[in-house]
Amino acid sequence: MTEPDDDFFARLRQDAAPLRYRPDEATLARIRARIQERIAPQPTVAELLASWFRPLATAVAIVAVIAGVGLATIDLPEGGVEIVVGGESYVVGD
Amino acid sequence: MNDDPLIARAQQGDAEAYGLLVAEYLRRVVAIAFSIVRNAHDAEDLAQEAFVKAYQSIGRFRTGSPFGPWIGRIVTNLALDVVKHRTKFRHEAIDDTRPASRRDDAELPALRHDLAARIDAALDELPEMQRIVARLHLVEEMDHAEIAALLGLSDGTVRSHLSLARTKLKARLADLYD
Repeated sequence: MTEPDDDFFARLRQDAAPLRYRPDEATLARIRARIQERIAPQPTVAELLASWFRPLATAVAIVAVIAGVGLATIDLPEGGVEIVVGGESYVVGD
Repeated sequence: MNDDPLIARAQQGDAEAYGLLVAEYLRRVVAIAFSIVRNAHDAEDLAQEAFVKAYQSIGRFRTGSPFGPWIGRIVTNLALDVVKHRTKFRHEAIDDTRPASRRDDAELPALRHDLAARIDAALDELPEMQRIVARLHLVEEMDHAEIAALLGLSDGTVRSHLSLARTKLKARLADLYD
């Protein structure tokens, strides 16, 4: 039987200390990151679709604004600024 | 440390709280896995699997129970499966000059130390369960009850394995410990 006061095992335990494997902090951090990645809540289908459509909608909005501004600029009479007051349109020259 | 609040939060799906439990027990879990599989990369992968598996079933974890033995048991079972798989593979292999369970010496520079290397070799020559029990007892300094809980054995069986291992180790290392 092995008892705590077993001299042979006590000496063996002392000499076996270098056999202990203790991962360094970088290794532990890497494992922790991998675990966190795997247990992180997965996005729902709606969230996934939203993440795809959001940039697309933003791009379309930007294009629409640019197109609107462009059209407005093209529509301006040459050499003046058009001002609408009370339904009447006036062109003010430079 | 009382882990109950963290466990309760983890049971509600709080991955951050679970991360704190991982941080607390990871080193120990990797050490247990390494004692059994004897390969650093495998031990790290097993630790990762054990924590993910534990998180997936944490809803069934009984509040108030200690988390350490539970996660220890999970990683032990996973590691024993790896060892069994290797044993089966080794039996099927025609040429097995370097068993997969042998660790690359580069992973543990301390092994170059003659005395530790002799002990390591003597431990490796023991039958599987004696080797695992002896490593947990001698290298990881676990007591009989801890080993019994991890391996799902009775205290008497652990003592029996250690007694047999002791006899063999004493014979193999007689020149060092006489």
